[in-house]
Amino acid sequence: MVVETITDGGVLYGLLAVGAGLATGLAGIGAGVGEQGIGAAVVGVVAEEPGFLGKGLFLMLLPETLIIFGLAVSLILMFAWTPFA
Amino acid sequence: MCRVVVAGSNKVIEPVIEKLHELNLLHVVNYSGADETFDMGKPLGKSSEYAEQLIKLRSIERYLEITDKMPDKQFPESQVLSQMDGILDTVGNDVIATAERIAEIDNEVKIKEDQARALKPLAGLTLDMELLHGYKSLASFVGTVASPVEADVSKVSYVNEVFTSSSGGTNAVAVFVPVEKAGEVSGVLAEHGFSEVSVPGGLTGTIAGAISTLESDAKRLEGEKAPLVKKLKDIRAQHEDLILAIDEHLSIKSQKAESPLRFASTDNAFVIDGWVPTDQFEALKREIESAAGGRVQVEKLDGSEADKLVEAGEDIPTKLNNPGVVKPFELITRLFAIPEYKEYDPTPLIFVFFPLMFGLILGDVAYGLIVFIVMMMLRRKFRTPGWQSLINIVTISSIWAIIFGILFGEIFGPLGLWDYIFSGAHYTGLLGTVADPHHVGVDFGSGFYGPLGRIGPEIGSFAGGVFPMYRLATASVLVLIGVSLFIGIVHTGIGSVLGVKNELAYGEKRHAYFERLPVLLFQVFFGLGLLGLIAGGLGHPLVLLSALVIVISIIMMVKGPEGVMGATHIPFFVSNLISYLRLLAIGLASVGVAFAANQLGFYVLMPMLSGGAHDGFTTIAIVVGIVVLIMVHFINLLLGILSPFMHPLRLHYVEMFTKFYSGHGGGVEYSPFGRVRRFLRD
Repeated sequence: MVVETITDGGVLYGLLAVGAGLATGLAGIGAGVGEQGIGAAVVGVVAEEPGFLGKGLFLMLLPETLIIFGLAVSLILMFAWTPFA
Repeated sequence: MCRVVVAGSNKVIEPVIEKLHELNLLHVVNYSGADETFDMGKPLGKSSEYAEQLIKLRSIERYLEITDKMPDKQFPESQVLSQMDGILDTVGNDVIATAERIAEIDNEVKIKEDQARALKPLAGLTLDMELLHGYKSLASFVGTVASPVEADVSKVSYVNEVFTSSSGGTNAVAVFVPVEKAGEVSGVLAEHGFSEVSVPGGLTGTIAGAISTLESDAKRLEGEKAPLVKKLKDIRAQHEDLILAIDEHLSIKSQKAESPLRFASTDNAFVIDGWVPTDQFEALKREIESAAGGRVQVEKLDGSEADKLVEAGEDIPTKLNNPGVVKPFELITRLFAIPEYKEYDPTPLIFVFFPLMFGLILGDVAYGLIVFIVMMMLRRKFRTPGWQSLINIVTISSIWAIIFGILFGEIFGPLGLWDYIFSGAHYTGLLGTVADPHHVGVDFGSGFYGPLGRIGPEIGSFAGGVFPMYRLATASVLVLIGVSLFIGIVHTGIGSVLGVKNELAYGEKRHAYFERLPVLLFQVFFGLGLLGLIAGGLGHPLVLLSALVIVISIIMMVKGPEGVMGATHIPFFVSNLISYLRLLAIGLASVGVAFAANQLGFYVLMPMLSGGAHDGFTTIAIVVGIVVLIMVHFINLLLGILSPFMHPLRLHYVEMFTKFYSGHGGGVEYSPFGRVRRFLRD
C-alpha cells in the first residue's frame, strides 16, 4: 500500500513542497533571530558614531546567508531533485 | 602622495596660512606634541571673536531652520562683510526674540489646553471655581468616581457636603468634609475608584465658563503665533543664501585663525607637516615661497624618511580618484571604509557589478523606467553631493534593470503587459506554456542528473527565440541558479586576486600565496567542480581535477600563516558562493508578487466584476482592476528598489570585500587644508 502511494507521487510531492516551505521559512526565522541582536547593537553604535554605518551594515547582514541556505535546499527539493521522475 | 614639511618664521605665518588655505592642497598632519623642542601653535588674533559670531549665527540658522543646501545665489566677500553685522545684530536679535516668543506661546497654549482637558469631566458641577479649594477647616476632594459615594461618605463623616454630576459616562464629584476626617474619607473614595482632578488656581466663575475661557485664550495665543511664524519664514526666504554665505565666510576665517593649533611652533618659527599629491608638490612649493617672500622653507621628505614616519603610525592619506561615471560609487566604498594608500580602490568594481546585480534582481522594463524617471525628477530636488551620488547610482542601476527586463520579458511582471503587447493573445494557463520544456528555445542538453534546462519560450511570433526568458519558469530558475553562482565565482574571484595583489603591495608574500591564493583556487575550482558534477557526474574529469586542486588549496591554507585554523574558514568560502543565489531568489520574489498582482487584476477581479466573462470587461471592472494593479505594483516597486539595493551591497561588503579590503584597517581620506567656496565668490 505504502509503496503504491509513493510511486503515485502525489503525497510525496506534497511532502516535498511542505519540506521546501519549512526549509525557507525556518531559515528565515533563524536569520531574523540572528539579526535582531546585531541590528539593535548596530543602531546603538551608529547613533554614537555615524561613520560605523557601513561596517554595521556588514555585520548586520552576515546572518542573512542563513536564509539563502534554506532557499538553496528548497530549490533543490522543488526543482533539481526528482525522486519519482 | 609625498610627505612635505613647511617651516618658516612666525612673521610670515599669516600669508602662509592664507596661501595654503587658498591652494587647498596640503593634507595637514596634526602636531602630536611629542617633541620637547616644539609647542603647539597658538590661534591667531581674532579666533575667539569668529567663534562667538559663528555660534550666534548657527543659533539664528537653527531658529530659521536653515540647513546646508546647494547655493542659488553667490555673494562677493565685500558684500558679506558689509552685511554681516546687520544680519548678526538687527536681524539676528529680531529672529531670536521672535523665536523665543513663539516658544513661550507654545508653552502657554500647552498649559491652558492641559488645564481645560483636566477640567472637562467636572463641567457638570454647579460650583464656582473659587469654591473648589482654598479652605482651612475643610478638606476638598474634586475628581471623578466610578460609583455613587454619598452614602459611604456619610457613614465616616456625618458632616459633609457632596456635589455630583454625571455626563457621558463620567461621574464628577466634589466632596467637602472637615479636615480631621480627610484620611478616612480619602479611603472611602478610593474604594469607589476616585481619581483626583487637580484644580488650577487663578480661575473664577463656573467650571464650564472657566473651560471656555481657557480654550479661547489658547485660540487667541495661537492667533498671535501665526504672524510670528510667517515673519520667520519671510526672513528665511529673504536671507537664506546670505546667511549661509556668512556662515561660510566665518567658518573659513575661524578655520584659518585656529589652524596654528595643528602646527608645531617655537617662539620664532613654525613647522607644518603634511601630505601633498606628488605631482602638485612643485606648485605648492613655488606658491608658498612666493607668498612668504622667501622666508619659508618647503621641503619634500624622501621615501625612506616618509616610510619611517608611516611605520611610526602616521597614515598616508588616500585620495580617491575615479572618472566621472564611476565617482558616485565612491559613496558605497566610503560607507564601508576608505581604502588605505597602498590598497586597491574597489570603486570601479562596484561600478561594474553593483548595477548589474541590481538589474538582475529588479529586471523589469516598466519598474526600471519608473525608477529612472523618478530619479531624473529627484536629481533637481536633492542637490547635495551625497544625494547626487545616490541618485546617480540608482539611475545607472535602473538602466540595467531595463536591459534585464527586456531579456526577461517583464513589463509590470512576466506575461503581464508584454503578453498583450507582443503576442496579441493571452493564455488561460499562463505558466503552462512556459513551463513546458518542449516550447523552450535554447536547449542545454542532458546532464548527469537530468535535463539542464533551456531558455526562451515559444510565445506568438517569437517561436524558438532566446528571449524573453520567463524567470518563473522551471528551466529559467535552473539557468539563473547557474548564472548567479557564476557571477559569484567571478566576483569573489576578482576579490581574491586583489587580495593577493594587496598583500604583495605590502610585501607580505606568505599571506599572499598561502592565505589569499588558496581561497581563489578553492572557490574557482569549487564552482568548476559543481559544473562538472552536473554535466557528467562524479566520474567527470573536471570533477576529478577540481577535487585535486581543492585538496591542494586546503593543504596550502594549512601551511599558511594561520596554520590549521586557516582551513576552518572553508565553510565561510562555500557559504560565500551560495550566498549569490540571492540574486535569483530576491528577483523571483519580486516577479512573484508582480505575477500575482496581474493574475488578480486580469483573471480574478476583472472577470468577477464583469459577471464571469473572460472577454469584454465592463468599464467599472477595468477601473477597479487597474486601481488594484497600481496599488500592488506600487508596493512591489518600493520593495523592488530597497532589496535590489541592499543585497548587492551585502554581496560587495561581505562576500567580496572580505577577500581583500581593509585587511590592514581602514585608511584616512585626503582632506586638504582649505575649503571649496560655495556661497562666496571673488
